[in-house]
Amino acid sequence: MDFVRAWTGSIAALAILCSSAPYRAAPARESAGGTLTGRVHVVSHPARRLATAGAYPGRIVGIQADRDSSELDNVIVFINSPMKVESVVQRVTIRQTNEEFVPHVVAVTAGSTVDFPNDDLIFHNVFSLSRAATFDLGRYPRNTSKSRTFTKPGVVKVFCHLHSHMSAIVRVFSHPYFATPDRNGRFTIQGVPAGRHEVTAWHERAGEVTHTATIDEGGSTELSYSLPLTDPE
Amino acid sequence: MSEVTTRSPRLIVKVLCFAMGVIGCVIVGVFTLFSWQTNARLTQSVVENMEASQLRFASIEARRRRENMLQAIALAENPTLKAAVDTHYSERGNEQALGQLRSTIETELAKLQQLMAIPALSVTDVRGIVLASAGPSKADWPAGARVSFRIQEDGAPVETVITRNGHPYVATAVPLVLGRDVIGEFFLASPLDDAYAVNLAGEARADIAILLDGRVIASSTSAALQRALEEVALPLNGTIQLAGDEFVVQRLSSVDSVSVYALDSVTSAARAATSETGWVLLLAGAGALLIAVAGSWWLARTVARPIDRLSNSLARMAKARDFDQPLPPIGGSRELDTLKATFNELRTAVSLAEAESEAAYLGVIGALATALDARDPYTAGHSQRVADLSVSIGRQMRLSETDLETLRLGALLHDIGKIGISDAVLRKPSKLTPEEFEQIKLHPTLGARILKPLRFLDAQLAIVELHHERPDGRGYPHGLKGDEIPLFARIVHVADAFDAMTSARAYRGALPVSTAVAELWRLIGADFDPQVVQALAALPVALTEPAALESRRGETHDVSPERAARSLVPFPARSTAVAAQSTPLTLRRAE
Repeated sequence: MDFVRAWTGSIAALAILCSSAPYRAAPARESAGGTLTGRVHVVSHPARRLATAGAYPGRIVGIQADRDSSELDNVIVFINSPMKVESVVQRVTIRQTNEEFVPHVVAVTAGSTVDFPNDDLIFHNVFSLSRAATFDLGRYPRNTSKSRTFTKPGVVKVFCHLHSHMSAIVRVFSHPYFATPDRNGRFTIQGVPAGRHEVTAWHERAGEVTHTATIDEGGSTELSYSLPLTDPE
Repeated sequence: MSEVTTRSPRLIVKVLCFAMGVIGCVIVGVFTLFSWQTNARLTQSVVENMEASQLRFASIEARRRRENMLQAIALAENPTLKAAVDTHYSERGNEQALGQLRSTIETELAKLQQLMAIPALSVTDVRGIVLASAGPSKADWPAGARVSFRIQEDGAPVETVITRNGHPYVATAVPLVLGRDVIGEFFLASPLDDAYAVNLAGEARADIAILLDGRVIASSTSAALQRALEEVALPLNGTIQLAGDEFVVQRLSSVDSVSVYALDSVTSAARAATSETGWVLLLAGAGALLIAVAGSWWLARTVARPIDRLSNSLARMAKARDFDQPLPPIGGSRELDTLKATFNELRTAVSLAEAESEAAYLGVIGALATALDARDPYTAGHSQRVADLSVSIGRQMRLSETDLETLRLGALLHDIGKIGISDAVLRKPSKLTPEEFEQIKLHPTLGARILKPLRFLDAQLAIVELHHERPDGRGYPHGLKGDEIPLFARIVHVADAFDAMTSARAYRGALPVSTAVAELWRLIGADFDPQVVQALAALPVALTEPAALESRRGETHDVSPERAARSLVPFPARSTAVAAQSTPLTLRRAE
């Protein structure tokens, strides 16, 4: 059986409610290494409304169809290596707005802390069953925030126990060499140590595409990714 | 009476048999007609019932399906379930973590199963690999197994039939949706087993058979009927013959290759209706029979009883030979009264005719005897006198009235044979020659021959034939002895001899009574019967006097004065005074 995808492609550009843009690579040391640039291409599909069993409202609960979003926001390009590099500890925010975690995907260095403020009128909850960080922040009301520090590298899937359609992903890295492409699909990772690296573009459903890149000291390497998000049918 | 009852049945039995026959015929006729009509009517009603139940079932099914789907959708929104399934993807490669997630899913499913009581709950990933299952039938849905099911692209829940381990399940499949993505499939499955069919049968109010590719996988019917179902091609709806019975069949629903059929037996419905009617008719028949019995009893009382009374009266009359009394009133009905009246008239007429004919033949006989006596002046009145004397002797011997009548007639006709004797012999004044005497001796045989054709004189025949027999056997015509001679003949023999002696003849005068009695005494035992002679001798004098006999008959007969003055002189000589006193004769045996 294959993945069935239902992507929403939105065109309208509204004010981004996120308080912080996706964190781009923040190298600890600027002194050495080269720059990795590239482009990621994902295919967007028109949104499909999920069918229902009868004369009842649709199942898309609380999702703002016109929210400015792009699947590119959910892509992370990173150097696929278990290397441990001391890096700046970050503080990132995932807001709970309109029953959605915004942004949906964040990438952080190990030891970073993520805040989960509740902007909605209703209670929210944040929990994870992932091995990298199994936690439950409990329920809390509007204008309160709880946070969690992620120390283990890995993929942490975050859910709200009250709203089963809400989910977010916190990807924790043991190094700072990762980036999220911009709306044009472009990304830049700076200060990459020279040498041959496996560079992976990842999307939660599409999986991974890995290219090998040789980084020269002070040089710049260009990579191009095409993530197979197309619907097989 | 008894002959009648054994030959033909009694009236009550006849009436009862007739009533029962009629009632039986009516009931059998009604029952046959009803059974014949019922089948056609019932087939129609079963078909209608079936259509109605299909409509009802269809609406129930539609609602059940929608409820199932809503329920499935609600269950599929379980956050833990979705979180675990979604996390399952990102933990690929870490078996420990995956195992933990699967047990989380299983725990969630078990909780839901307890709430919903669904036989099997199962969650697969998007490839259809079972992550975890719960419920009594979870053995058919083991983790790691692949469910061949195509997830609906639009994420809509569907109802489908899934065969697991050879067990068909009807399953509501609903995609697990996270955000805009389908992350897995959630199955709520019920095995298509007999229990399911029985449950459906309760809703459809008909037997249910569930067929998968023409094979019965579950049913609420008997095994025999299941086999029969697999052998025929089932129509969408219609009537078919199954295992000898007529069934109305209707396909209620069809999911994938599984069809649900409702069956209703026309035959069994007809049988139930027919047997119900049968009971009613039986009850009616019993009631009618009861009425018939009561009616017959009443009829017997009003008709048979008077007839019985009538025949009893007639039997009594016949036995007593008493037809003088009219029949007692019978009652009961006009016909019977008419019958009684007619019988009474008949009886009167018959007894009148009888009396007339009796008088007539008595007259003829009297005339015959008189004619005979008239041939010879010496024997004039002889027959009558012998008759009277014989009756007197008989009475003395205490014979019954009937016997006395027989005796009288016999005595009256005793010399009738003399009709065949010529006057020359009969009236010969001189002594008879032996040849002539032989002629005389023929008269008893002749008399018997004359009277033989007259059946009503059978009893008198012996008197006529044997009145010249003697106790010592020297009489004629047969020479019978003692008791061989009938008593009546012996009586007439004595009376004849006595009258002959006391009457004048051409060759001699009349002997006095006493002399005649003495003569009788003298010849007792040889010529005359002692008992008879004794009885004669015991008679009052007046009764033995020929003149007295004559005068009592009131005949204008020439009686000589000396005969009239004669008195019975006892033997040996007694005073006339004794005789005149009419004392019974006390006679001694003459020396």
